[in-house]
Amino acid sequence: METLAETQGIDLFLPKTFDIFWSAVILVIVAIFFYKFFLPKFQSIFDERAAKIEGGIAKAEQAQKEADAAKEKYESQLSNARVEAAKIRDDARAEASHIIADARSRAESEAAQVTANAQRSIASQQQQALVSLKGEVGVIATALAGKILGAKLQDADVQSSMIDSLIDDIDKDQAA
Amino acid sequence: MDLITLAEVSGSLSAVGYGLAAIGPGIGVGIIFGKAIESTARQPELGGRIQTLMWLGFGLVEFLALLGFIGGFIFR
Amino acid sequence: MTGALSLATAASTLADFEVPSIDDFLPDAFVFQGTPFAINRIVMVRLIATVVLLLVFGITAKRAKLIPGRWQGAVEWLLEFVRNNIVYEVMGSERGRRYVPMITTIFMTILVFNICGIIPGMNIAATATIMMPVFFALWTFVQYWIAACKGKGLGKFLKDELLPAGVPIPVYVILAPMQLIDIVLIRPASLAIRLFANMMAGHLIVALCFSATQFFLIEAHNALAAFGVVTFAFGFVMTLFEAFVAALQAFIFATLSCVYINLSYPEED
Repeated sequence: METLAETQGIDLFLPKTFDIFWSAVILVIVAIFFYKFFLPKFQSIFDERAAKIEGGIAKAEQAQKEADAAKEKYESQLSNARVEAAKIRDDARAEASHIIADARSRAESEAAQVTANAQRSIASQQQQALVSLKGEVGVIATALAGKILGAKLQDADVQSSMIDSLIDDIDKDQAA
Repeated sequence: MDLITLAEVSGSLSAVGYGLAAIGPGIGVGIIFGKAIESTARQPELGGRIQTLMWLGFGLVEFLALLGFIGGFIFR
Repeated sequence: MTGALSLATAASTLADFEVPSIDDFLPDAFVFQGTPFAINRIVMVRLIATVVLLLVFGITAKRAKLIPGRWQGAVEWLLEFVRNNIVYEVMGSERGRRYVPMITTIFMTILVFNICGIIPGMNIAATATIMMPVFFALWTFVQYWIAACKGKGLGKFLKDELLPAGVPIPVYVILAPMQLIDIVLIRPASLAIRLFANMMAGHLIVALCFSATQFFLIEAHNALAAFGVVTFAFGFVMTLFEAFVAALQAFIFATLSCVYINLSYPEED
């Protein structure tokens, strides 16, 4: 316990010149360092970071907006395409029915033509047959009558007069 | 030891003095912090103001203990 | 020398027990002895601590990036702690903004200087002479008087402090001188002495524990070795406690500076 007595305790609280000097110098150095370099540097970093974060948020918002716009565009395109497809389908269906109707009408008219042709040719053939029949009936009738009347009709004059009177009779019959 | 001196204390009395001096501020600081916690729990919206006052009172009370500390060195 | 040796060999006498004393805080100067620039052990520790502080924080600030690394993150956390939990908590962000650099400087410097007390090789806090805390306290003192002149006006400040409202008039006779002593002397003195005394007491306790450990383990009889283990464990715990106290004292100093400066401004509401 000798050492305690050697120095007076109050010495601890009495400032010494070198202590004052070194404390002041160091305080000034440290203060200048903090005020001029350290804190401004970190302040600028904090500010920059805040700006970056805000910028990032703005950018993200922009991107979100763009994505929304793209989606809207895509959706409108999609619906347009859908409408168009429906329209095309309807058109195709209409055209198809049109084509069918067309084909049917053409077929019908063709059929009618064919029928008409056939009827016409039938009619002409009938006429032909009638004419040729008319000629042949006369000959056959003459031959038949000749066979029936025999030699009586050898005479050409009689023959022609007989035929004429016969045909007249027929005409008369027809007229009556 | 002679007949008159019945008990003797050797060593530094200032240590005992500081011990005694520290009792009061010890209790005081304890009360200050306890009350500050209590009042902050009751009215948390006044927390900042209570804390300011708490530190102020702490500074004052602590100074008594520090006086005891210095006194131990001065009055030897 | 031989006397000391024979004492050491004789051992196990309490006389050998090196009690740490306040001489630790009044070491002899070894350079520029007797001049105002004398450097003793504590001043040297302080100089080294200053250089380390400037280097470490300087390099940190120089290399500071937008995306902080681990160390930069820790430093930034410290800066934000000082700003939000000390300055803005006490003074509010509007008023506190101009005091952030000052309080940050005080807090960081005291923290680093206090930590020196538990760094092996330094073993004494750089704030462990009276003048370093006194200068910090003077800075606060000057700041709160300036704030008083600018914020409230000097007359109003003195009236508020010396003659607070709501006190019976006779009490003023006692109160006014006490308050005057408080604002002029006690506030800065308590700031300085609190820091100094804490550093001193911490050093004495830790040094006592370890010198007792040395005494019990090496110089005393083996029977006392168990005590050495106990004192070593206690010294270890006290070292950790010193680390806590170092940070706590920096915090208290900064907070009280804020409180004192804030008192110089008119009430916010």
